[in-house]
Amino acid sequence: MRFGFGLKRGTLPLLAKFSQINWTLVLLVSLIAGIGFAMLYSAANGEYEPWALRQLARFGIGLVLMFAIALVDVRQLLRSAYLIYGVALILLISVEFLGTSGMGAQRWIDLKIFKIQPSEVMKIALVLALARYFHGMSGEEVRRLPTLIIPLVLLLIPSWLVIRQPDLGTALLLIIVGGAIFFLAGVRLWVFGASLAFVLAAIPLAWHLLHDYQQQRVLTFINPERDPLGSGYHILQSKIALGSGGLFGKGFLEGTQSHLNFLPEKQTDFIFTMLAEEFGLVGALALLGLYLITLAIGIAISLRSTSQFGRLLGMGIMTTFFLYVFINIAMVTGLIPVVGIPLPLISYGGTAMLTILISFGLLISVNIHRDVMLPRRGGLL
Amino acid sequence: MTGFGNLARRGAIRAAGKYRRDFDEKIARNVARGRSRLRVTAYLFTAAFVLVSARLVDLTILKAQPSHANIRATVSQPQSDRADVVDRNGVLLATSLSTASLYVNPQEVFDVDKAVEKLTHVLPELDREGLRRKMIGDHRFAWIARNLTPRQQHAINDLGLPGFGFRHEDRRVYPLARLFAHVVGYTDIDNRGLAGIEKYFDDRLRLPMVHPAEPFSVSLDGRFQHVLHEELTAGMDGFHAKAAVGVVLDATSGELRAMVSLPDFDPNHIRPEDDHARFNRATQGVYEMGSTFKLFTAAMALDGGVVSPNGGYDASEPIQLARHTIRDYHGKARWLSVPEIVMFSSNIGAAKMAQAVGTDEQRKFLERLGLLGRTRIELVEAARPIIPSPWREINTMTIGFGHGLAVTPLQLTSAVAAIANGGIYYPPSILPRPRQTQGVRVVSSSTSSELRKLMRLTVAHGTGGRADVEGYRVGGKTGTAEKVVRGGYHRDALISSFVAVFPIDEPKFVVLVLFDEPRGPENKPRLAGGGWTAAPVAGKIIARLGPLAGIAPRAAEPVPLPASVKLDRESQTASLSQTAVARQVSAPATDRASASTTGTMEELLSQILGAVH
Repeated sequence: MRFGFGLKRGTLPLLAKFSQINWTLVLLVSLIAGIGFAMLYSAANGEYEPWALRQLARFGIGLVLMFAIALVDVRQLLRSAYLIYGVALILLISVEFLGTSGMGAQRWIDLKIFKIQPSEVMKIALVLALARYFHGMSGEEVRRLPTLIIPLVLLLIPSWLVIRQPDLGTALLLIIVGGAIFFLAGVRLWVFGASLAFVLAAIPLAWHLLHDYQQQRVLTFINPERDPLGSGYHILQSKIALGSGGLFGKGFLEGTQSHLNFLPEKQTDFIFTMLAEEFGLVGALALLGLYLITLAIGIAISLRSTSQFGRLLGMGIMTTFFLYVFINIAMVTGLIPVVGIPLPLISYGGTAMLTILISFGLLISVNIHRDVMLPRRGGLL
Repeated sequence: MTGFGNLARRGAIRAAGKYRRDFDEKIARNVARGRSRLRVTAYLFTAAFVLVSARLVDLTILKAQPSHANIRATVSQPQSDRADVVDRNGVLLATSLSTASLYVNPQEVFDVDKAVEKLTHVLPELDREGLRRKMIGDHRFAWIARNLTPRQQHAINDLGLPGFGFRHEDRRVYPLARLFAHVVGYTDIDNRGLAGIEKYFDDRLRLPMVHPAEPFSVSLDGRFQHVLHEELTAGMDGFHAKAAVGVVLDATSGELRAMVSLPDFDPNHIRPEDDHARFNRATQGVYEMGSTFKLFTAAMALDGGVVSPNGGYDASEPIQLARHTIRDYHGKARWLSVPEIVMFSSNIGAAKMAQAVGTDEQRKFLERLGLLGRTRIELVEAARPIIPSPWREINTMTIGFGHGLAVTPLQLTSAVAAIANGGIYYPPSILPRPRQTQGVRVVSSSTSSELRKLMRLTVAHGTGGRADVEGYRVGGKTGTAEKVVRGGYHRDALISSFVAVFPIDEPKFVVLVLFDEPRGPENKPRLAGGGWTAAPVAGKIIARLGPLAGIAPRAAEPVPLPASVKLDRESQTASLSQTAVARQVSAPATDRASASTTGTMEELLSQILGAVH
């Protein structure tokens, strides 16, 4: 509240903003990313190439982006929310026509210099758009059903486009994050119940509309055992590696399952398994602890925000972050089917790293501008 | 904009207290709801983390331990401990080796094409299509290859294929390969006995009384078996015989020392084409033995006092009985004494001797010698003899010289042992026997002594001359029988045998050698009788077994001819050039009642079936 007086509607000086950055959060993010570099170094059998060094470079770029976005005025974010959403939607549609196939699915747009993955952009854009929409609604309005039509459209169009790619995992992630924002905005509980009932009822109908190969994909997603040549093997090896790690692990660079290449995708989706093998249960729980503290700080920032927009944006980001962590670890421990969700800040991969750091930039921005009053209905841009 | 913003903007209407209070309450409620939902979300996150942590504890600590224990347990506990089989000297005849068998869990196979490609590279004998079928489907287990060598296992491990694993299995191994093929037998892939000792003693081998299993010791002697096998193989090749049988029996206890049936097979690699070879001719094959039966006829006649050793019968005329004529091949055409009947193998003399004893006495006597019941040996491959029914006088007479009754070579050997060892019958056995084994007396020791003299005479001066071994005092008797071919006896298809007892003055071993359809030397193809084929092979075997058995050779002593034996030059050459071949010259082709049986079980079966049609 130090900047509360007289500045609520004004602009904070840049230096003041910088000093308002939550350095604990930055430290945590760097710490987790540091664990990531160590694991990538180990995954390459004690080499900086090909993963650890590149990941470090991406983290550097991402960190700069994070700070830049953190300093953007939250009002600017509010204003540009729909624009960002619109751009993301156009990218998502254009992927249908321009997208290059990678790993059997159309997900990437090649911009020559770098490739972007519109579904990743959409993860942030959707949170921004929904936060902005619910920010403009009073508690009373949210309780009225017609209010929910526009956000539902905002949620379902990108979800449908992502399903078509096909990327069922990301689509589910979008829907869960969207649902979380609906919940946090105060949509009445029976609406969720009804939606769930509607979805369950619609499944048989939708099922018949799907092509044979699409049905096969869905079935395989639900039960990987159907496709024994694929995901079942990953999980088996992952469980063996976890079991072999034991309480304290085999030690850094000593994980046999991963170094002898029994563990597939050890530098990306299954990096957590490798960590658990080398550092044991203790190391795995320590990392979970770091994630939990990060989440707690994020939630505290959201709680402190005076604006609905800031709160929903912060919680939307934290929900996405939480889902990444939870789905990834639940997947490698065999609790849920294998979906291609990376472990945030640790798994090798540029897009995911940038997405996470950008969203942390947004979170820090929310923190810096926690006392800024936002107009309920701003302009479209 | 939040409720707080509203508050500030609408300061002007604060005076309208009631409205404002309502409004405040609404806003406060909304804010409270927003915060409580946020808290609920935070709790959900925490709960999810607790769940994941619990799962991690489960996987790393709780589940990790038992899986290690399992691995240790499977390594230390052999799947089966089927007992080894050893011979009387402790030489390993059958043992179990721990080998690895490859299986697949199709649910874990990553890339079927790659797996098929790589596996067939290491195990080229695998069928690609069959392999592919095993890797696809809902099942979770299928054998790929059983009993791999360590080298193969290592190569497969190097392929690094997911979904494949090894189970340790015991594989039955026969270090001496085909040497003991028929006696020791073999097991199936799951180590269940299928033949021989492996089958008969399956329970004892599989469920030994003590652990680890003590080796199962048998009376056989690997050295004897080797000698017998080698000489029989050489003999079979030399005489171009279809098959051969050899038996070495301990004359004083009935212990089996060696038993060979040729052709044989390698029990380590049973092939479908071995079907014929797997037949154990020594215990399953029944043959009309021919003249060796004259020993029994002489023994029963002498023991019953029907004739004295110096007595004899008129063999000057062929015997006409019903539609049959019994004649000697090279008849002396004169009266023959008992020793002459045996030595020169006179069918007429033996038939008359048997006739004098009578049908009932003959039956009882042969029964006591174990020739009319199932072969007594600890093997499932033990055949019953083929006995004439009805047993008429003509049968008595033909059986007197070894026709019309088909017995197994082992039965013949143990019966000869009883006649020669002092008159006590011991059922043959594969198991070591204690020294004081009770036998059954079949003839008096004096009769036995007479028979030993006859056997020695036969080798020294009669048809068995080629079996003699200097220093080992061999006694014996030749046997030559024509095989039944399409309902009639065939002159050129013979069962030629020789049964030898040595040393004859104090019998230790009985050796039987039998060839199925041997041929004589190139220029004398008719010289295929027992005296020309089986007798020399028996001699070679005895020459090698004697020293092995620790029997001291003794300087050759002349064997005096009894007064009752007239050995004219002509008759000797005649008997040697063609041992008396028992034949029923005038037996009509349609009449098979009296003596229509010879050859192996298979041949007999087809004959019987043919007769039915």
